[in-house]
Amino acid sequence: MSSVGKFALIWGAIALFAAAALTLQLSIRQLSIRQMPAQQASGQTRVTAGPDNCGEGWTKPSAGIQRFSVKNTSITGMEVYLQNVASKAVYFDIEGFGAGATESARAVLGGGSYRFVCLPADGNAAFGSTVTISGTGAIANLTPGVVPVTRNDLIPAAKAYGDWILSRLPVLIADTHTLNTDVTAGNLDAAKRDWLTAHTEYETLGAAYGAFGDADSEINGMPASGRTAIDDPDLTGFHKIEALLYGGAPAATIAPYTTGLVDAVTRLRNEFPDVRIDPLDIGLRAHEILENALQFELTGRADAGSGSTLATIDANITGTIQALAPLRGILATRYPQIAQTDAWIARSRKLVESFRSPAGTWTPLDGLTRADREKLNATISQTVEELAPVAAICDVRRTS
Amino acid sequence: MTGHKPLGRRGFLGGLIGAGVAGPLAAGVAASDAASASDSAQPASYPFHGAHQQGILTPVQRNASVVAFDVTAANRDEVQALLRTITERARFLTAGGSPAEVGITAPPADSGLLGPRVPADGLTVTASVGASLFDDRFGLASAKPARLRRMDDFPNDALDRAQCDGDLLLQLCAHNTDAVLHALRDITRATRGAMQVRWRKDGFVSPPRPSGTPRNLLGFKDGTSSPATASAKAADALVWTQAGANGPGANGTGGNGAGANGPGGNAARGDEPEWVTGGSYHVVRIIRMFVEFWDRVSLHEQENMIGRRRDSGAPQTATNEFDDPHYENDPTGDVIQMDAHIRLANPRTPESKNQQMLRRGYNYDAGVDANGNLDMGLIFSCFNQDLDRQFVAVQKRLADEPLVDYVSPVGGGYFFALPGARSSSDWLGRGLLS
Repeated sequence: MSSVGKFALIWGAIALFAAAALTLQLSIRQLSIRQMPAQQASGQTRVTAGPDNCGEGWTKPSAGIQRFSVKNTSITGMEVYLQNVASKAVYFDIEGFGAGATESARAVLGGGSYRFVCLPADGNAAFGSTVTISGTGAIANLTPGVVPVTRNDLIPAAKAYGDWILSRLPVLIADTHTLNTDVTAGNLDAAKRDWLTAHTEYETLGAAYGAFGDADSEINGMPASGRTAIDDPDLTGFHKIEALLYGGAPAATIAPYTTGLVDAVTRLRNEFPDVRIDPLDIGLRAHEILENALQFELTGRADAGSGSTLATIDANITGTIQALAPLRGILATRYPQIAQTDAWIARSRKLVESFRSPAGTWTPLDGLTRADREKLNATISQTVEELAPVAAICDVRRTS
Repeated sequence: MTGHKPLGRRGFLGGLIGAGVAGPLAAGVAASDAASASDSAQPASYPFHGAHQQGILTPVQRNASVVAFDVTAANRDEVQALLRTITERARFLTAGGSPAEVGITAPPADSGLLGPRVPADGLTVTASVGASLFDDRFGLASAKPARLRRMDDFPNDALDRAQCDGDLLLQLCAHNTDAVLHALRDITRATRGAMQVRWRKDGFVSPPRPSGTPRNLLGFKDGTSSPATASAKAADALVWTQAGANGPGANGTGGNGAGANGPGGNAARGDEPEWVTGGSYHVVRIIRMFVEFWDRVSLHEQENMIGRRRDSGAPQTATNEFDDPHYENDPTGDVIQMDAHIRLANPRTPESKNQQMLRRGYNYDAGVDANGNLDMGLIFSCFNQDLDRQFVAVQKRLADEPLVDYVSPVGGGYFFALPGARSSSDWLGRGLLS
């Protein structure tokens, strides 16, 4: 399984675990619902969060930092917001909040009207009374509020992104056909160029790894622990072919793998329309593609002899731009640093492409000077820092 | 809770046994400081603003990370932004407080290592610049401190240049390791695109065993003989660099104030640029100790190499750790060998007095070598008014001392610790970059 496949699996596991933990917590909490509230730290405002008492206790608001101790007094799990009444911007969101539990939450607020919103797991939203902080001077380090992103907001983005992937799959199939044809005919120099074209095409689709499921490990898997791409008997796909092509294997040895690759990507195309891009995932993809590049490409781990790491990263940058594209409307009002993010993506692209010769060949990673490699690491790393808030902002939240 | 025991003032002198060079008078002053300070607890925080950076005269904290960076900023403006960011983060981290609340707009602003409210934990952040920062990338060549250069390769060195030098050095020290790592993660996160770690070594200072100066990993008290820097006058003479000339005669005549020296240099007044006043030459040497080999050496031979008793730290000619070795009574080295480490490092002559440097070393422990030997040793660190007059002069004298078979300098660098940030609107490197 590829690294990104693992990522998806891990996210799935976390979600399952969280769900299980919540269920367990609920059953335990229901038994002890009458316990006294925990001792509060000084300076905290105690607030209740239940269907009938949402936000009660916040009676003395003042500009600056607000420290709340919020108690879920209901008998179900709860999600609790602090919301700006006028703009609907949210300043914090207590999620996975078990019945009977007490959580602390903080926000730095300026003048305005605010309220708590309590969203029971099995019921409709309850709104707390409006609390007004009157006109204030400048407050430092105000907590930025944004209007929560809902599943409905993300469905069109996920669809647009899925459509884009679907439009690229025929290109990928054609690329792998060319590779297979040249390998079968023994044109191994041409096959190396074909491999690069096909592989970089696939790497632009990076954001779709989660949706590709097992197909990804068949197409672009990495060798098992303690194995290399050459000696892992179970490995198929791009990296196996890469290791053979660049390791000087005869065409007849390579051909079964290139034929297998054509089959695998064809299967992917046939099955893909049934595999939706999960709206929950789309925000994560924006930074995960380059997180993965940082972990597996910039360390040199994924390379199996072609020295095309920088071509892969260039493709990953394209993939990042594509994953971000359908989110732009959502981010426009929610992420003030989007222009700065775009600038770092552009800077990354320019730097990476500076290592491509006019003939289209790429400097291998170990051919870079230390200074160049540091600059590359710094630039990609800063770019993922800029992209990370996209995932947080696009985390799906309930509003009703 | 505070698990660490208060260290004596002497703790901050911890460094290589080696380069210690204190006159008898200085040693006496330091000894009385140690007695009075050992009773008080470590302060929770050190003030960030001042003419000098913290982490130099500051009593040594128990844990440190010494991290060299290469600057990846594209131009001088970005270097300036980098130093402003480092200053801003250091200002917050060394004071402690509540991290920014980012709500649902981003991952948490803080790593959470130290809990919801960040304690200062005695953190100091000391920023120094390396010679390579003054190359042709940022137009800073004319502002280079006069002695700053790529670290010399001394006769007994085995330098791995990948672990040497760097554009910037951060020395992060705190009472606890988590606070050091918290600061490292915070600062590197805030500066991701502008610098990258080039090399790094983490260190610790041992508690006194059983008393006096903490021991190094050879088992010897390390840093016994060090200059007293309690008085501003002593620190001004040995630690702080100033514009123009430094050293004997530089101060005494005519109050050498800033502005005495033009950019072109002036041989009569010295050659340090304007901005360096209040900074200090910062030398770091990663000194591997071959501890398995050392442990196979007889005590007598060990003590002869050092010139001190292992148990007490006393010179072989005396009884107690802080006693004067009185070389005048042992002129031919019958007791303390002429090539013993302490004798070469500090011959206690009038001429060697202004070669004293302020040591601030840490032990390191970093895993295992290919031959199964433990990789541990000393992060030798010292601060000098004049690199050549002090550290380099002493290091040259130590060439081929018997101890070189058991220790091996493998990394480090020459840096210049920036003058302090004086106020909340000031920033480290302002004099250099604006």
